Amino acid sequence: MLRIKGGKVYDPANGVNGVAKDVCVGDGKIVAEVEGGRTIDATGMVVFPGGVDVHTHVAGAALNFARAMIPEDHRRHKHFVRTLTTRGGIGGSTPTTFITGYLYAGLGYTTVNEAAMPILSARHTHEELRDTPIVDKSCLVLMANNEMLLDQIEAGELERARHIVAWNIWAAKAYGVKAVNPGGVTAWKWGKDAKSLNEPIAGFSKATPGKIISALANIVDDLGLPHPLHLHCNNLGAPGNYVTTLETMKLLDGNRAHMAHLQYHAYGGDDWSTMRSESVLIAEYFNAHPNLTTDAGAVLFGDTVTITADGPWQHILYKLTGRKWGNIDVENETGCGVVPYVYKEKNLVNAVQWAVGLELLLLIDDPWRVYLTTDHPNGAAFWRYPEIIRLLMDAQFRREQLKKLPPKALKRIFLAELNREYTLYEIAIITSAGPARALGLPQKGNLGIGADADVAIYNDSKDVFQMFSYPRYVIKGGEVVIEEGEIRKTVEGKGLLVRPTFDNKISDFIRPLFQQYYTMAFDNYPVEIERIEHPEFRPCKQSSR
Amino acid sequence: MTCTLGEVKNRADLIVYWGGNPAECHPRHFTKYALMPKGRFVPNGRKDRTMVLVDIRETPSVKAADIFLQVRPAKDFEMITVLRALVKGQPVDPQLVADTGLTVEQLQEFVDLMKKARFGVFFFGMGLSMTRGKHMNSAALLTLAAELNAFTKFVAMPMRGHGNVTGGDVIMRWTTGYPFGVNLARGYPRFNPGEYSTIDLLIRGDADAALILGADPGATMPQPCIDHLARIPTIVLDPKVTHTSRLARVHITTAVTGISAPGTAYRMDEIPLPLRPVLKSPYPTDEEVLRRIYKAVAAKPPLAVPVMPELAAV
Repeated sequence: MLRIKGGKVYDPANGVNGVAKDVCVGDGKIVAEVEGGRTIDATGMVVFPGGVDVHTHVAGAALNFARAMIPEDHRRHKHFVRTLTTRGGIGGSTPTTFITGYLYAGLGYTTVNEAAMPILSARHTHEELRDTPIVDKSCLVLMANNEMLLDQIEAGELERARHIVAWNIWAAKAYGVKAVNPGGVTAWKWGKDAKSLNEPIAGFSKATPGKIISALANIVDDLGLPHPLHLHCNNLGAPGNYVTTLETMKLLDGNRAHMAHLQYHAYGGDDWSTMRSESVLIAEYFNAHPNLTTDAGAVLFGDTVTITADGPWQHILYKLTGRKWGNIDVENETGCGVVPYVYKEKNLVNAVQWAVGLELLLLIDDPWRVYLTTDHPNGAAFWRYPEIIRLLMDAQFRREQLKKLPPKALKRIFLAELNREYTLYEIAIITSAGPARALGLPQKGNLGIGADADVAIYNDSKDVFQMFSYPRYVIKGGEVVIEEGEIRKTVEGKGLLVRPTFDNKISDFIRPLFQQYYTMAFDNYPVEIERIEHPEFRPCKQSSR
Repeated sequence: MTCTLGEVKNRADLIVYWGGNPAECHPRHFTKYALMPKGRFVPNGRKDRTMVLVDIRETPSVKAADIFLQVRPAKDFEMITVLRALVKGQPVDPQLVADTGLTVEQLQEFVDLMKKARFGVFFFGMGLSMTRGKHMNSAALLTLAAELNAFTKFVAMPMRGHGNVTGGDVIMRWTTGYPFGVNLARGYPRFNPGEYSTIDLLIRGDADAALILGADPGATMPQPCIDHLARIPTIVLDPKVTHTSRLARVHITTAVTGISAPGTAYRMDEIPLPLRPVLKSPYPTDEEVLRRIYKAVAAKPPLAVPVMPELAAV
C-alpha cells in the first residue's frame, strides 16, 4: 500500500493535465483510496504513468550476435558494478539483459515491446527476456518473409494464411505481428531486394510486397489482435523512399497499421548526394488517416550499432561504411543484418536523418498517434531518450543544434521552420499513454483506477534532460524499484502474449511442409508456455468483418 | 555473414569445407544439413550440389568431395588472400601461389565456381581457426565470404563441436556482453582473450579454485594447466568420472542433461533446441547442485563480495 502525495499528475488517458492530486496504490494496482501504508511526498515533482516503448530491440539472436561483434563499444561505454540488489553488466549500444531492465526502469519505463522475433529462435528471445528484469515484455513475430505464408499468398489461400499466422503467433508465444521489408528479406536470400510494391518477389510469380502487406493487415485485424500490423516498409533508408511509404500507407486504407520507425522511410532525392527530407508530405498523409499510428525511429548523433531483419539494406550499409558486417539468414522465415555505425553531425545524410525524426514528431498533429522511439539501437540507444525530449520541448535549443549541421543540410530539411514545443502532457502521451493504447494495453500508460501501478515520478524542473534522465521514484506493479536514483528492488516483469484462435487441423497442414523444409523436429518448434515468465494473456477481439 | 542450417539445406549449391573432417567429426552434417538433403531450391539433393574440401591432408571426407584442394600446412591465410585478389580480378604473385601448394589455374577455377554458385557456404573447422594465424585465418575467410556477396549469395559458418559450447557462448553474451574470456573479479565483466581465458589463467597460476562443468580439461588442456588444476581445489560436476575428476578434490556426479535432466542446447547455428529427459536419474542436475552451492556460499558471512539475497533464496 502506497500513497503518492502532492505531485502534479499527468495522466493523459484520463484527461488529467498537471493537477496536484494523490495517487494511491494497493495490491499492484491503482486504487481510489488507501488506509495507512507508506506515503511518498511528491511535492515539487511530476507524476507520470510508467513509460511504454512500442518499438525496441532488446533481446534475441540478432541482438546477441551484435553484442559479440562490438566488444570495443562495450569497453567504451559505462559498465555496471554489481550491488546488493543488481547484477553487474555492460551498458552501451547493446546493454546486457539485466542492465537493459535497469536502464529502462532508470528512465521511468516499465513496459517494452521487442519488435522482431523469428519463430525458429523465439525460445532464445524468451530466454533473454526472462533475464531482463523489472519491465513487462511483449514481442512481435516476423511474418512478412515466412515462405510457408508467402506460398499461401501466392496461391490465393488467404483463409489458410490466417490460420498459419495465428498458429505461428501462438508457437512463438508472441503478442503481435511484425512485417519487415515484405518480400525483400526472402529475395535477399538470393542476394536481391524487393523495391517495388507491385512486382513479384524473387522466387515467386504472383506474391508481391503489396499483396503481403494487405494480406497481413487483414489477417491481423480479422484475428482481432490488440496491436495492429507492425510494419517496417520496403526501401528503408533509401533516398526517394517516401514514394514507397506513401503507396504503402494507401494500401492500408481500411486496416489498422503501425508504421515502424517512420524516420527511415521519409526521404526524398535520387541518391545520397541529393537526399532530402520529405517529412511534410508523409506527415500530411498520415495526419489525414486515423487508421495509422507510428513511432519516430529518431536518430541522434554518435556511435551505435544497426540491427534489422532488413538484410539487403544492411549489405548496402556495409558497402557504404566498409566496417564490420554481420548477416544471419533464418531458414524459411527471415534474416537479419548487423552493422556498427556512427551518425555524424557533419555528414549530410546523417544530418537529414536527424532532422527527419524530429520533424515527424513535430509535424504529426496528434500526439496519440506518434511515439517516441529511436528504433533502439538503430537510431541511438534507448537510454538517450531524454535528449530527444529536450529537443522536442525547447525550440530555441533546437535552433542552436541546427547551427552545427553542414549549411547544405539546412536546405534539405524543414526543422528550422518548426516552432512547436511539446508540453509535459504531450510528452506523457508519446512516451506512455499513446504507445500503451497502440499496443492495446488498457492497463498500461494510465493512472486510472484499476490500472497497473506502474508510475514514474520526476523532479519538476526546467532542465528537462536532467529531469527525465533521473526519475526520483519508479514504481513497478506497486513496488518501489527506484528511489533517489538507486535501484532498491529488482522485481520480475510479466510476459504479455495473445492466443488467437485457429483451426487445430492447421498443424496437420504445416507438419509435412515443416519436415521437408526445416532442420528442427516439428514438435520442438513451438515454445513451451512454461518458458514464459509470469505470462499474462491479453484478449483478442473477434472482428465483425 | 551466416545463416541457419536450413538455409544451406534449402538453397546451397556450393558447399566448401575448410580445415575440417566432417565425415568423422560431424558425421550427421552431410546427411542432415549440407550435402544429401533435398531442399526447396535444390530438389535433387546431392546432385544439385558441388562440394569442395580444402585441407592439408587426405581424410575420409575427401571421398565425399567433388573437388579436393590440398593446401600446404599453415598456408591457409595466403591461399585465402590469393582467392580474395582473384575474386576482384587483381594480379597475383605466382611465387605466393606456388607456396600454397596449388596452381593459379586451380584457384581461378575455384573462384569461378564460387562466383557462379547461386548460394555458396564455407564451413570452417579448427584446421583453419586453431592453426598458425588462428583468428586471422577465420577473419580472412569471413572477409572473402563478405566480398563474394558482391557477386552472389555467400555465407560462412564455423563447425563447432564439444556439446553445448554454443549455448555457453550465447548466454555469456547476453549476461556479460562477451562470448568467453570474461573476468568478473571487479564486479563487472571485462574481456581479454589471452589474459582472462581459462588456459592463460591456469598457466599463470592466477586461479586459486576451479569449478569444472561438462568439460574434461584434464584430458585436453596443456600440461601446465593440468598441473595447476591438481594444485588448487578443483570441483568437477560430471555424470561420469573424467580425467579431471581424478585430479580434483571433489567430484559430484550429476544427471545427464538431455537424458535425465531437462534444458536447452544451442545448435552450431545458434538455434536453441529443447532437451526433454527420457529417463529418471538418482543424481541431481547440474542446476540443482549449483543452486545448493550458491545457497551455502551466500549463507556464509562475512563475504568480500555482495551476494544477491533473492538469488540465494531460490
